[in-house]
Amino acid sequence: MAKTGNSALLRFRVMAILCGVNLLLLILGYMPAKYLFDALDNNGWLIAIPIAHGYLYIVYILTALQIGVQKKMSLFSILGLTLAGTLPVASFIAERRMVKKYS
Amino acid sequence: MRTVTKKLLQAFTVLVLASIFIGLGIWQLQRAQEMDDQKKVLVDTTIYPLAQKATPTGTIPPESIAKLVTAEGHYIATYKAPNQKDGSGKVADWEVALLEKDGENAILVVRGLWADRLTNPEIVMSKQISLTGTLMPKQNDDRAANTSSQLSRLDSSILVSSYPGQLYDGFILATNEVVDGQKVERARISAPELTSGVPGYYWQHISYVVVWWFMALLVLWAPFYRRKD
Repeated sequence: MAKTGNSALLRFRVMAILCGVNLLLLILGYMPAKYLFDALDNNGWLIAIPIAHGYLYIVYILTALQIGVQKKMSLFSILGLTLAGTLPVASFIAERRMVKKYS
Repeated sequence: MRTVTKKLLQAFTVLVLASIFIGLGIWQLQRAQEMDDQKKVLVDTTIYPLAQKATPTGTIPPESIAKLVTAEGHYIATYKAPNQKDGSGKVADWEVALLEKDGENAILVVRGLWADRLTNPEIVMSKQISLTGTLMPKQNDDRAANTSSQLSRLDSSILVSSYPGQLYDGFILATNEVVDGQKVERARISAPELTSGVPGYYWQHISYVVVWWFMALLVLWAPFYRRKD
């Protein structure tokens, strides 16, 4: 049981870090390229960033739900964990807190 | 009684939230569909009268964009549109004229390169012009400063204060002009890519569809979640 819990925690950590990095790329790379420098025409690969964020976020929510249910967290805490994936840096903070509390 | 009211209120909130998320997903799905449809309209080679595809009182319908249209009228002003990119990616200054139709409404027409503006001295304001071209949506980003003789972007809203009549949204990229029954010979601009040349916007919208509908599922699941010690 403990092993399963740790696996869920590991999955959550991986997704929190991936989502966090992707969100930083979105805000510091894609957004300025699109809205400040109008550089998307010549850098089409940048579109992969928001697309990846859409799909990574879904997986992040699944891992947050799994760890939340397993650790019997309150619905409010699970909601907070879920929303952390939409705010820059928040998923890193959530990941650190979860590690501190459950590892 | 109080518990029943609480439950009903909870159910109502859940249903409202789920409906909102499902609605947002449907909205993103429609936007993805519009992206897909934009690729299909390019194969239509029928030439339509401008009045059939756009009105001077509203925005150009998505299904009218990139259609070939004809229009007749008089050029009442000419502007320089700097730093414009054509279909081949070449950046140049374009000559843009304001074509007045029926004396009460007007549309911007890209005639060709600014460098070629003096090649057709026969076109003066009194001459009736008959043109064919591609109907394009207005531009949103400035390419240069806006002055009385220069347009920062191809957007008729810039001219609202200087033209008393109604202005069509968007512009025509002229492929052919006829004056006094004679075809005007000059190099034309190839149509720029409409979706900013970036592939993948379709899948971006689809990813948002999945996210919103997933949120709806989460909201529907939330009332059944119980913490078990």
